[in-house]
Amino acid sequence: MAIQKLVGKGRDAIQIILDEGSFEENIIGGFTHQSEIGPGAVIGTGKLKGRTVTVIANDAKVFNPRFPVVYSGIIGMEEAYKMAIAVYKTIEADRGKPASEKRPLILLVDSPGNGPGKQEEIFGMNKATGSYQLALTEARQEGHPVIAMIIGRAISGAFLCHGLQADHILTLSKEHGTMIHVMPLSSIARITKMDIETLQSLSETNPVFASGADFFYKLGGVEEIIDDVSDMSDIISRHVDEIYQLNAEGRSMEAGPWGRGTLGAERGGRGARLEVINKMQQEFAEIENDYL
Amino acid sequence: MMSWKELQNTSFYESPARERAIGLVDEGTFKELIAPIDKFTSPHLPVLGEAVCFDDGVVTGVGKIGTRPVFVISQEGRFIGGAVGEVGGAKISGLFQVALQLYDKIVDKYPNDYESRIPAVVFSFETGGVRLHESNAGLLAHAEIMEWIQKCRNKVPVISLVGSKVGCFGGMGFVCVATDLVIMSELGRIGLTGPEVIEEVMGKKEFDSTDRALIYRTTGGKHKYIMRDCAFLVDDSIEAFRNQIEEVLKMPYSEIASYRSIGSLELVEEQLSLVGLSTELHPKDSKDVWRYFGNENADQIQDLYYEDFMNSVKIRPRGGR
Repeated sequence: MAIQKLVGKGRDAIQIILDEGSFEENIIGGFTHQSEIGPGAVIGTGKLKGRTVTVIANDAKVFNPRFPVVYSGIIGMEEAYKMAIAVYKTIEADRGKPASEKRPLILLVDSPGNGPGKQEEIFGMNKATGSYQLALTEARQEGHPVIAMIIGRAISGAFLCHGLQADHILTLSKEHGTMIHVMPLSSIARITKMDIETLQSLSETNPVFASGADFFYKLGGVEEIIDDVSDMSDIISRHVDEIYQLNAEGRSMEAGPWGRGTLGAERGGRGARLEVINKMQQEFAEIENDYL
Repeated sequence: MMSWKELQNTSFYESPARERAIGLVDEGTFKELIAPIDKFTSPHLPVLGEAVCFDDGVVTGVGKIGTRPVFVISQEGRFIGGAVGEVGGAKISGLFQVALQLYDKIVDKYPNDYESRIPAVVFSFETGGVRLHESNAGLLAHAEIMEWIQKCRNKVPVISLVGSKVGCFGGMGFVCVATDLVIMSELGRIGLTGPEVIEEVMGKKEFDSTDRALIYRTTGGKHKYIMRDCAFLVDDSIEAFRNQIEEVLKMPYSEIASYRSIGSLELVEEQLSLVGLSTELHPKDSKDVWRYFGNENADQIQDLYYEDFMNSVKIRPRGGR
């Protein structure tokens, strides 16, 4: 079994996953990105098992000279808009093609967060991350399979932005150093004013609260855990095929955030959600005629 | 509880979630869905020894404004800062689901005459985002809500209201700007990263999280209005928000959507040009940006009364800078 830590190595992961020598950075269809904008985000086109795909990844080794809080794979405003543009250009490149020919988007996830600075708040980091999420959801609606592959850090707002809108989410197992959580326990303890010992013991058993791939699996937050880096290409490809199939059958809501909710109930990690959704359906059905 | 008429003149900022929900739609029309009597509470809080609340911090329901069914989501800042957990998050996405289902049925039933009947979703934010006590479930709920907002596009108008005590921060900071249109009062605040975290990252000299005026200049309603991040700035009363919703619902969908700040390649390019402005201006303070957009009185703006501000303010031009 090949354990290889890819934390901080988004560019290496691109080379491992894509067909050899196939990655063309900054090019998507007829579009070429001006490369100085958003250095912490890597976008481009490559081949996965012979199929053309758009790749969006983080580069943790560069910092953004214009935004001092953007380094180590943080998704800043430029990065998030660059990622959103990559998605819209992917949609544009395949406009008019049948759904079965819409190219997949592969998101390689390794980011500790969104840009947390003052300029970011003045100009609106919230709009940047929101833009990227709306673009990904639109791509799914257009029929592009979107697969997120967690190779390192999938933390809080960065994971919401870059990963959680995907059709399916895959992760390398925890032995690869992958991290999935909202906040470290020490910060949770500080903000909730709960003692850290209690939190630590709960974090070993309670999936809504604990961090890591195994717990997210139980919540339906990731579809599959991959134990060997050399299996990534095959498994991502298999999930792409599954999404084409679901879309062709009109079952796209069985994937994506909503589908993961159902999965969370099946796996026993998120039972209350489904009860609430069903109750909402039932209560509104009783009064629906007043609004028709 | 106050009567509907009394609620109209009440401060939106001070009002609890249920009173906002009742007062925002026509008198006597609000019906709560998954009300406290259903006792859907968080299964996770008791494990941590925390108290639960019978609405889990969010009121969901449906009312009418004129001929339109209006689905209302109203967050309660008094319960764990309005943060989103598994149950509250599911109430929100469940409400979006029934709103879209109703839309489809109405279009089906009145194929030639549905515009005046289609539902809208009104989302009154008061929240810090993910509820850390059940953080993973809260995170996943945010993603579901974003998916629903995109699904509503070109069908069900979604309107954000921000003017409550806690403001709208964390993940909900992007949810609220992803809708068709944002209505704020000057007391509303929208941001992604909370002031304390910015101070932690940048130091107290750059950003003092106890400086309320600074926080308002960075995240408050007047700033968001100048930046076009909020379409309408209204007085701090339930009636003022309600009247503005009523005006918005008279517009055709295309006009409502013209107020979007994000959600297309064109809008992303517009926002990216503002990021370019940020790198040229290096603003130390929002006032630098206000001046750039022609507000010579930047130093006085925060103190201006609502009418005086509205009569004199210059907002960012459409298309970028």
